[in-house]
Amino acid sequence: MKKIFAVVFGVFMFYAMTSYAQLDSVKAENFIKKVTTQGIEQIINANVSQEEKDKRFEKLFNEYLDLDFIGKFVLGRYWNTATATERTEFIDVYRQMNIKTWSKRFDEFKGKKFIFNGTSASNSKNQIFVNTTVPMKQGAPAKVVWRVKDTNGTLKVVDIIIENVSLAITARNEYTAYIKKSKNGIADLIEDLRQKSK
Amino acid sequence: MYKKCLLLMTVLTLASCSSVNTQDTSALESYNKAMFEFNYQLDKNIIKPVAKGYKKVTNQFVRNRVSSFFNNLEEPQYMVNNLLQGEVKNSGVSIGRFVINSTLGLLGTFDIATSWGLEKKKNTFDATMAKYCVPDGPFVVLPVVGPSTPRHLTGWVADSYTSPLYWSLANSDDEKSNVIVWSATGLKYINLRAENMELLDSLEQGSVDYYEATKSAFLQNRKKFVSLCSQADNSDDNIPNYDFDFEADF
Repeated sequence: MKKIFAVVFGVFMFYAMTSYAQLDSVKAENFIKKVTTQGIEQIINANVSQEEKDKRFEKLFNEYLDLDFIGKFVLGRYWNTATATERTEFIDVYRQMNIKTWSKRFDEFKGKKFIFNGTSASNSKNQIFVNTTVPMKQGAPAKVVWRVKDTNGTLKVVDIIIENVSLAITARNEYTAYIKKSKNGIADLIEDLRQKSK
Repeated sequence: MYKKCLLLMTVLTLASCSSVNTQDTSALESYNKAMFEFNYQLDKNIIKPVAKGYKKVTNQFVRNRVSSFFNNLEEPQYMVNNLLQGEVKNSGVSIGRFVINSTLGLLGTFDIATSWGLEKKKNTFDATMAKYCVPDGPFVVLPVVGPSTPRHLTGWVADSYTSPLYWSLANSDDEKSNVIVWSATGLKYINLRAENMELLDSLEQGSVDYYEATKSAFLQNRKKFVSLCSQADNSDDNIPNYDFDFEADF
């Protein structure tokens, strides 16, 4: 009886987990399809002024990227020692700096399309990788992986990994090295980022 | 002369890196930062202005032809390394591409082979060594070349011997041959620098510590070679599957 119960329980759990994983994968992939389609159709290919494109990009960026979460991650252990004001200021300048950098670089995707290659499991809870490739004019297609986080049913991008290079890890390595060697730590980083985002 | 320079660079790098242990890491890091600064100034004051000038006097069509010409010269490299890695079919594709593009593609300036369904099968001696589980070694910044590792540099030097440009000049050690090789190498890298102008400007502008950002990106990209070694754990398919651990170092 115990064995039968174990088998039934096992089968039930297997189907429950599989269906959960499938639902999650489809949902995450559809979310990234929505983000990329919106970005390409409503920003890159739209026949509007650059000012309007920048506005739309900022909206897209704030809506689909979890900058609070990413900002906390890129500060590493220094997040714990930062004051409440420093935390708020850092997230704000980090957001501005990213919007400025990426709104300029977004046009690099002009004429490109994303090919979706399924999802991969993540080590972190409520997160999943959506795998895409972008065909290039010359050479092999570029591999772009989106790390998606589910917070109470709302999906947001928390990292983009281009050709194995994670933007979040690169920023974290850069910022923590900067804080370590700077005189005033996070305050200097905030000031430097503020200058760069002007 | 060119080969002697490459060999000297390899020997010096391997010698400097072979004895690296944790105590020497900070010394190597100091050297790397100094060399990175030297390369940065070299780029800022010489390479970038030349690349800007080159971009002004050429159009996208010309730059694409130059890229395509030098890409075609790398096909024998792909052929050799695909073969060394047991990828016989891919090696055949590389031979086919080289023959088609060198003839119908007007010395490789046009990539006809891709439109015929023969996709490029890029491969390097660096990847071949990774396949046979040769360790990468520490991060080192080379003069002019930039970020590298001992295995990366060894692969780069070995691959240079597969270029048809060097075969044709292999038996002549006169001044004229050296001028041709150096000029061609210069054109290749100036063209590459010009094609990446906006991307590099954007990376630099958005960075508060350009050295750390470059080092981090370079080392993360190197992890793609890990899965080539049969003894490696390939379970995560090379995705940096880190946990969002706020205390961890990467």
